[in-house]
Amino acid sequence: MANEDRAFNDQLAERGVSRRDFLKFCGSVAAMLGLSEAMVPTIASAVQSAASSKLYPAVWINGGACTGCTESMAQATYPDIATIVLDILSLNYIETIMMAQGDAANEALRSTVEKNEGKTIMIYEGSVMKGWDGNALRVEGKPSLEVLDEFAPKVAAIIAVGSCAVDGGWVKAAPNPADATGVSMYLAEKGIKTPVINLPTCPVNPEWVVAMIVDVLLLGQLESGAILDKLDDQGRPKLIFGQTIHDNCPRRGHFENGEFVYQFGSPEEAKGYCLYAVGCKGPQTYTNCPIVRWNNQVSWCVESGAPCIGCGDFNWVDENAPFLGRMRKVGIGTGPQEGGFNPGVVGAVAGGAVVAALGIHAIGMGAAGRIGNMPPTEDMKAHDRKKGGDK
Amino acid sequence: MARTVIDPLTRIEGHLRVECEVENGVITDAWVSGGLFRGMEVVMKGRQPSDAYYIAQRICGVCPISHGHASTMSAESALGVTIPNGARLVRNIIEAAQYLHSHILWFYTLAALDYVSPAKALQANIADTYALAQAAGTSTANFAAVQNKVKALVEGGDLSIFTNGYLDHPAFSPDMPAELHLIAVAHYLEALEMQAEASRVIAIMGGKFPHFMTSIPGGTAWMPTEEKLDDVLFRLVRVRDWVYATMIPDTLAIAPYYADALNYGGGTGNFLAWGVFNDESMEMTKRYLPNGAVFVPTKGLAVEDADPAKIAEYVEHSWLDGESGLNPADGQTVPPSEFAGYDVNKRYTWGKAPRYDGKSTEVGPLARMIVAYLRGVAPVKAIVDTALTALGAAGKPEVLVSLLGRVAARNLETAVIADWSLEWVNELVAAVKEGGVEFFKPIEADAGKGAGMWEAPRGALGHWMNVEGGLIANYQIVTPSTWDISPRDAQGVRGPMEEALVGTPILDPERPMEAGRVARSFDP
Repeated sequence: MANEDRAFNDQLAERGVSRRDFLKFCGSVAAMLGLSEAMVPTIASAVQSAASSKLYPAVWINGGACTGCTESMAQATYPDIATIVLDILSLNYIETIMMAQGDAANEALRSTVEKNEGKTIMIYEGSVMKGWDGNALRVEGKPSLEVLDEFAPKVAAIIAVGSCAVDGGWVKAAPNPADATGVSMYLAEKGIKTPVINLPTCPVNPEWVVAMIVDVLLLGQLESGAILDKLDDQGRPKLIFGQTIHDNCPRRGHFENGEFVYQFGSPEEAKGYCLYAVGCKGPQTYTNCPIVRWNNQVSWCVESGAPCIGCGDFNWVDENAPFLGRMRKVGIGTGPQEGGFNPGVVGAVAGGAVVAALGIHAIGMGAAGRIGNMPPTEDMKAHDRKKGGDK
Repeated sequence: MARTVIDPLTRIEGHLRVECEVENGVITDAWVSGGLFRGMEVVMKGRQPSDAYYIAQRICGVCPISHGHASTMSAESALGVTIPNGARLVRNIIEAAQYLHSHILWFYTLAALDYVSPAKALQANIADTYALAQAAGTSTANFAAVQNKVKALVEGGDLSIFTNGYLDHPAFSPDMPAELHLIAVAHYLEALEMQAEASRVIAIMGGKFPHFMTSIPGGTAWMPTEEKLDDVLFRLVRVRDWVYATMIPDTLAIAPYYADALNYGGGTGNFLAWGVFNDESMEMTKRYLPNGAVFVPTKGLAVEDADPAKIAEYVEHSWLDGESGLNPADGQTVPPSEFAGYDVNKRYTWGKAPRYDGKSTEVGPLARMIVAYLRGVAPVKAIVDTALTALGAAGKPEVLVSLLGRVAARNLETAVIADWSLEWVNELVAAVKEGGVEFFKPIEADAGKGAGMWEAPRGALGHWMNVEGGLIANYQIVTPSTWDISPRDAQGVRGPMEEALVGTPILDPERPMEAGRVARSFDP
């Protein structure tokens, strides 16, 4: 074993991580990035060399945030948050954990972006707050929009973490009292061309941020432009956001068998039946949560017994509430039952062939009598009705 | 006379500006400004009561569990449902795990860098560090590796999260040995793993953290299995043992070097707690950490029952519009038609000014510990008395009304809650074994007025919900920070954090580290 390997393994050991765990992590990153097993050693050596060379300049900006995405990053495991901020990134500005305060902190932001013009990575958490000319969020005695205006054109790329940064999140939900929006929408308004990588869900899953750090920074895919080809037309990495939760759900078998939970705390819930009937948005939500899971992979929403609320969807609060209600019946054809069971609607909304196929599949099951007794879907969301029409 | 400003106040949740008047090295006046308005109360209107649970917790990514619980309780109170015992235990355990997560993160990740400097840790002798750790009764770590890590960072020139920090500030205790700095830096790194471990308990029972999925109005969607209970218990034991072996001894080892912090930072001396962690009675005054209000300047160390009807919220110095002096049960959140500009003599914050019985009142662990101490909660009394003795203030709980008291109260509370969390898991195990335990009770009603009075790690928290025709007609939230970072009220009386800043010594007005200490002690 080379000396560098030994030193790196010692470093891992200090944190209680074995070489085996580390390679396992590299394997899961490879899977998430759509790379073959053969790339695992490349990822491993990229992480390893990053850990022993100059740190990559980065700044983390909190917009109209609850700080949940910073919190979520603090739950990352391989590499943990200490490795990320001490061995990989030089995260010179991050309000929630940085040592400096006030003017000294502002100076750290300014000098990092200016000294590394075109090289710094900006991670943006929270909504972009446009209300009252940006005074809905004041930092440094002025509207925080000025931070984006000044620095966004000077960074290499922006990773928008969490649904608020992607499209305004819950803060933008009707009636959007503080005129919130997402980073890429705001940059488009301003004509700023810096590439944005969108990582929705509320909060962001730290594993996805780690995957992007590996992809963008360590494998040099930003410089080569390869990263942009891996994004869908909404700026999301296709390999993370390309399949629905339903596609990979461990409870899928119960769905197929027509075994549903109709009430929390019931014997069906205890058996781990499918949560579709209590509002699960898994069939319409495009994330790999069932595979990556959360908090060092200990669990995820559906495993804990709760229906998915589709926090990775665009405009998720207005689209998906009521969260415990069945998905809306949107007219693509007619289901076999009155007020029918029709996950295919989701295919129409999301435009995914896989989901459309699922819809047909489910309708087929309904027709074959395998799904009986489904509660009716809502014809219109209560919230939309209040506003006087469908959206 | 000089103005000194901290904007942004870092190492907190959210956006805060602290402006102080400094005269002869002491703060003589202060104004704190909450910089963000999102308008959650406005977003809630017209939605279903059960949707509020999911949205409300997203007000705060550090304490989503408490906001989720207060919201779900407001729906249950409005619509007349009492949750079954299984759900009570599950919620207590999830809530406790969040307290452990939050308090560990606060002490080590957010607050410690005001008392401990990584630069000073570089001067530590490694053998002496082990000896000191042993003498202080705190846990050891690979101190040489930690010191090398800090050294590599400094020599590499990229200081990352330590960039531009006050690494050599004169307000660091000149007497505190370099070895103690190194111990604290090593535990700063360990704490990152321990806060994550506590969060995993929430993820097992709630799907993920931050933002959890299972405390739906009516009970919980989580149903225990033997395997999951075992996993939860194992992790809570690990965190509990670390709190006793590391966090508490660290607190007691560092505190004597900042004993002067017993002399300032006390604030208004008015304290309020709604209480948290229900027992089987589900009554606020019988909670494990009970409800209560204490007014030290006017009534001394005496506790009375706290009543939500005594709250009024004022907006004279807030950028918000709307009627001033309302109780949140009939409160308003009215975005202004125009932004009035920042002026400390007029309007200077997005926050309202809540007052309890007309008084500027502090909430948080210090309030909870004082209330529980005065109500004779045994484990609180025991650990507070031990700490008072260690600080040379045996029999004088009034010294807790200070900066150091506020910091210590939070850490002592961590230990008490860690013990209780194990009790609740064992109680749940016994209930499951016995059989017949219930977790959910469906809600039938579609109208009513209710409130969820609870506590986040950072203090008393209330959500108020009015439901008409199955939809939310009005929603109000008074967060802990709304109390603590309150601006002046209609009478011009300062908020608790503003009051606590007054009297704080400032060695270098250009680098007001001590003001940051006082502001952060509230965990705003």
